[in-house]
Amino acid sequence: MVHVYNCHPFTSQHIVQVEQEPGLVCCGGGALFVVATGGCKVEAYSLEKEGCPLICRFATMGTVRSIRHSNIGDYLVTIEEKNSATYLRAYTNWRYQAEEKARVGVRLLGHLLGGASMSGGVQMEIIEIPLSERPVAVACCSVTGDLLVGCETTLVLFTLRRQNQQNLQNQSQQNPQSPWPNTQQIFSQSQGQTSNTNLSILDFERSVILHIPKMTPRQVALCGGYVAVQAELEVLVLKLEATLEPKTLKETSDTEKSADYLEDQVDFLLIPRHQELLGDRAKDCDIPVSIEKTGLVDRGQYTLSYVLFRRFSPEFFQGCSVEEMQLHSLQLYPLFTSNQPVSLEEPSCMFCFFSLPNAGYLYSLKGGVELLSTYQYPEKVLEAVLTDHLLHVITKSALQCFTVRCAAVAARIEDPYIDTTMKACPPSSLEVCALRMQLFIGLRSVCVYGCHVILLSAADTETPDETERTTQRRGLELKEHTKLTGIFLAVGIDPATTPALESLLSRPFLSRKWTISSPKETSSAGHGWNLYVVDTVPPLALYQEMVEYSQRYTETNPQAQSLRHLLSEAHLLLRASLLQKQDQRPIREGGPAVSLQAGSGSGPARKNTVDRHEVEEALRQNCAQLGDCFSRGSQKDCHLALPYYRMSGLSVTEVMARNRPHPGSPHFYGPGFLFYLKHYLLEETDQTLSQESADEVIDIFSQSEPSLLVSVCASPSIVNINPARTLRILQHLEDTVGVSVPLTITMATMMLRLGDMQQYTQLMERHAEMLLVYGFIEESRLLLRGGGTGGGSGQQKQVCPTELAQQLANSQPGLLVAAMVALHENNKVQLEQADHIFKELGCENCLQVDFWEAMLMASSQDAVIQELLFRLVSVYIERLTNSESKLPHAPPKRKSLKSADDLINSCSHFGALYPWLTVLSPCHTTSSQHQEALYKLQSLLCGPSLALGSVAPLLERLSEETLWGFSLHLLCATRRGLYDSSIEKLLDRCPQAIIAFANHHLQDKNMALWWQKLLPELCNRTRAAADNSILLAALKETLVVVAMETSPAEFLELIPDDGTASYFLPHLLTCSQRHLLA
Amino acid sequence: MTTKTSLLKVILLGDGGVGKSSIMNRYVTNKFDAHLFHTIGVEFLNKDLEVDGRQVTLQIWDTAGQERFRSLRTPFYRGSDCCLLTFSVDDNQSFLNLGNWKKEFIYYADVKEPEKFPFVVLGNKVDVTERQVSSEEAQQWCQENGDYPYYETSAKDATNVAVAFEEAVRRVLAMEERTDHLIPTDTVKLHRKPRSAATCCS
Ligand SMILES: Nc1nc2c(ncn2[C@@H]2O[C@H](COP(=O)(O)OP(=O)(O)OP(=O)(O)O)[C@@H](O)[C@H]2O)c(=O)[nH]1
Ligand SMILES: [Mg+2]
Repeated sequence: MVHVYNCHPFTSQHIVQVEQEPGLVCCGGGALFVVATGGCKVEAYSLEKEGCPLICRFATMGTVRSIRHSNIGDYLVTIEEKNSATYLRAYTNWRYQAEEKARVGVRLLGHLLGGASMSGGVQMEIIEIPLSERPVAVACCSVTGDLLVGCETTLVLFTLRRQNQQNLQNQSQQNPQSPWPNTQQIFSQSQGQTSNTNLSILDFERSVILHIPKMTPRQVALCGGYVAVQAELEVLVLKLEATLEPKTLKETSDTEKSADYLEDQVDFLLIPRHQELLGDRAKDCDIPVSIEKTGLVDRGQYTLSYVLFRRFSPEFFQGCSVEEMQLHSLQLYPLFTSNQPVSLEEPSCMFCFFSLPNAGYLYSLKGGVELLSTYQYPEKVLEAVLTDHLLHVITKSALQCFTVRCAAVAARIEDPYIDTTMKACPPSSLEVCALRMQLFIGLRSVCVYGCHVILLSAADTETPDETERTTQRRGLELKEHTKLTGIFLAVGIDPATTPALESLLSRPFLSRKWTISSPKETSSAGHGWNLYVVDTVPPLALYQEMVEYSQRYTETNPQAQSLRHLLSEAHLLLRASLLQKQDQRPIREGGPAVSLQAGSGSGPARKNTVDRHEVEEALRQNCAQLGDCFSRGSQKDCHLALPYYRMSGLSVTEVMARNRPHPGSPHFYGPGFLFYLKHYLLEETDQTLSQESADEVIDIFSQSEPSLLVSVCASPSIVNINPARTLRILQHLEDTVGVSVPLTITMATMMLRLGDMQQYTQLMERHAEMLLVYGFIEESRLLLRGGGTGGGSGQQKQVCPTELAQQLANSQPGLLVAAMVALHENNKVQLEQADHIFKELGCENCLQVDFWEAMLMASSQDAVIQELLFRLVSVYIERLTNSESKLPHAPPKRKSLKSADDLINSCSHFGALYPWLTVLSPCHTTSSQHQEALYKLQSLLCGPSLALGSVAPLLERLSEETLWGFSLHLLCATRRGLYDSSIEKLLDRCPQAIIAFANHHLQDKNMALWWQKLLPELCNRTRAAADNSILLAALKETLVVVAMETSPAEFLELIPDDGTASYFLPHLLTCSQRHLLA
Repeated sequence: MTTKTSLLKVILLGDGGVGKSSIMNRYVTNKFDAHLFHTIGVEFLNKDLEVDGRQVTLQIWDTAGQERFRSLRTPFYRGSDCCLLTFSVDDNQSFLNLGNWKKEFIYYADVKEPEKFPFVVLGNKVDVTERQVSSEEAQQWCQENGDYPYYETSAKDATNVAVAFEEAVRRVLAMEERTDHLIPTDTVKLHRKPRSAATCCS
């Protein structure tokens, strides 16, 4: 379906003063080129100046059959005839032909020698491009200025080269006939208008020949490496890529194979089938293409890929005779975006347009080939031109515009956030629409430059009955308008009543915006032809008209699909102009017959930024309206309200105001609006609503979605709600849906805000702590403010405790810690965020440590465990050293939630204390705080999890002077397996613990240490201090063990030489007896 | 229907320095420059004129006479309607070279029937007193080579310049008259199928 909107896309028209009847017309580089019928003269008129004055006039060498202008290089290319021979020629420096009698230099392609330009001034030059086949069609690449020539069975690609004058002179003196060896490729630099200071001479290099024996080109197009060929009823698009690697042989043979295969098939296909092959599949078409490379050898290879093939069968259409069913208006159309990923040379988007008399087709070629839009025409269309904003088509009697979807494709490439909850843009599949048409008589051709649409009309040579039909149809208006201008009239359309385009012509309409300027009207009326320049309105103005137009829908039927469609159209219009305005590159200035820059005022740069600002403002406005549309609309696509409102820059308060129901009307909030609001409350944290707005939010949800009230209340955006009022609403909710833990906690929060501690406590006591913890897991924002609720998100946001968390820290610290652990384990808070919370709560040294300890019990993530172990070791050490120093350091405010014993009993990471530790540091020696810290640290060192390596540096700094310090060092040493030195140290510092130590550690593979280390050590020490009862007791214990573990012979060996036999004898006896038994 | 305007391509050939560029300048702009640069390559300009009541556009092609520019000029001989073989009366060698010029032209222009092709011979610089080529010598050469019209011109004082060009036009038109009914030169239809003839644009 084609929507029809009564919007006027044209502002004014004037007639170009041409003396001879124009035969061909083309435009580019700010100029309009007119070739007189059958003549050999080109007249160039300025499209940028008022009244289109003549720029210059120059002779061509033959009768021009086809003409094109290239913006890059500012050259014209023609297909000419002379004496039945056909020639291809390029006209450069044509702007210097102001004086018609000036000589024109002529040379062959590649023969670079300036004529008079070498000695005198700049001279117009014609480059003759010899071809082995007759040229049929030409096209210039708007990106590179390269030239594509379609011949009868081949396509020839010429690369544009530029050499500056200086180099040329040197070159030509050495060898006047050789082509330049060091030519340079021309990129985006726009030549022409003003570049006489740095003049360079153009030339072309024949780079590739494509053989397409099975296709007879009618039109060709070239852009950014894409090559399009159009035959009568076929279109083929190829991508030609220059690569440095040699072409893969496989590919070539493939092509040949399929070609052979299809060749056989073709004989059977008498009537071509309708066919559409997209992307890679296009290679299955029966049109073989082969590459013949002609450029210089070092330029690398070209590879070819099929992009699109479309074939129409002649019987496929109705309403048009089979002979008339021919394709026309082939166009490749690039769009550049601000975030150009690749080189400047390569546009981000590429589109291909072609047209039959009754329908036009627009394809997007990059990032997957797809048909964007099909344009169904109301009447037989003669020619069509695609631009950024609009598609212009001409029928014999009218100029009409359709909207285009290129901007929807480009916007998505430019901004990856489109189609997320952040941003939106109407889809590229959005149905196109037709705008109000403009009537003319006898239109022949159309071309477009910027905002100028150039139309050529010529005396009707149509058959009498055809004229009659037209006259009948146009009825009265024609007469009316003939009085006014005799040339055109405007027709109004009301799509609400007349969806069919045929009825476009049913109502006369004379636009107030339409201005006519034809100074010599009488002179132009004399002949049967006219050359019009019709200006399109600036996109912003068209946008405004669309908005105005949409008001009517808003009033009558805001839910109507048409309103949404119209606003989407308006949106894309603005997108297109934003895309284009960003493009500051000179290549696009004045555009290759595409840009829609309004006028040519002074200081275009400044004007552009002002324009841009205006367009951006309009886009925000439009997004707000689209937001309204989706917020009130049906369930379908209602989620789009969110991104559109976001892009509108409206505050929540403003959005709420826009969605407020009219008093008295039985209105409900639309699903889109609620979706928006939910997302807003869940995600936005930096904007806090006023109390009034916050209360309104509560009202909206209590009315529309009461089940969400708890999570709404938890949103930090609405902290300013009136707690008493909210409590009433929550109470009501509880009465209707029943008690739930999160609801109770929310109500408790409100009580807290009211300062009613009694009620608060009562509410909190309604549920067991475990249930409360579940409540917090369900709605973490009851405790935490800020930060994403959906865990796993990469970036960590700063979170803060709520007032409830603050309260819990004081009144129910255990609950708070348990809740935080639960939140962490459920990925609702991360360790660093939890740290921040405790810091904010002012309990870094107490509750936070409790949290870590509790986390150790709960967590199963190894990385987290190691981190926590490290932190706890540091904390314990700090506590030990701080309470040791006599400084007036504030001890922890409270006792820890878990004692060392609790931890040892309940947490696997805390090990049971080794027995010798109790001997080493009896409990009464220090304060209980100190004792607890020591026990916990010792317990960790006795446990299985602590990685000694990470904490060793911390422990090493501790003094060994104190017994507890010594105990820790000893623990480390034993954990490292340094038993020898540990035994020595222990005997030095605390021999009474040695047996406990040895019993615990000297087991299994360390058993030998009893006699290898401990026994000799004790013998030596008792020898020195024979009266030391502790040592003697230890020696005795040791001998018992040794006697148990060694053979009598070994035991004998162990007895020191100076030993008293009577002392050792009993042990030797035990040993022997045990041995005998065994 | 449009009034039929013929585009006639007339090419000036002859040794470097004989005055080809000067003749063209004199004819089109009515000026003379005593210190003209040698032409490099090929240049042309159009001049509209009426001959015997017929409107024609004369496309005058000036070529570089120097031998080193040979390859630059020869590709453009093709499609010429008339060739003006030019020498300078004060330079015998340029006269002796006329035959070579004629041969070069016929070869590169790919003239089908050289005997019928309209050549016009110009002896330039007649204002100079020290002549090396006599009028009779020149006339005889013209006679022997195909009865070409011969004009003694001076770009310096404009003698015979316009007359010579008008004669060239007459020769061409006379040729056309003879062949006109055979090959209609101004029709559009080439290899197109009839149904595609409707509009011809850009
Ligand atoms: N006295 C006199 N000098 C002339 C005449 N025509 C040309 N000259 C001079 O002869 C010189 C050469 O003339 P050009 O017109 O450049 O000769 P050309 O045939 O174009 O030479 P190329 O471009 O090298 O082929 C210039 O200095 C002219 O001024 C003439 O009729 N009389
Ligand atoms: Mg010359």
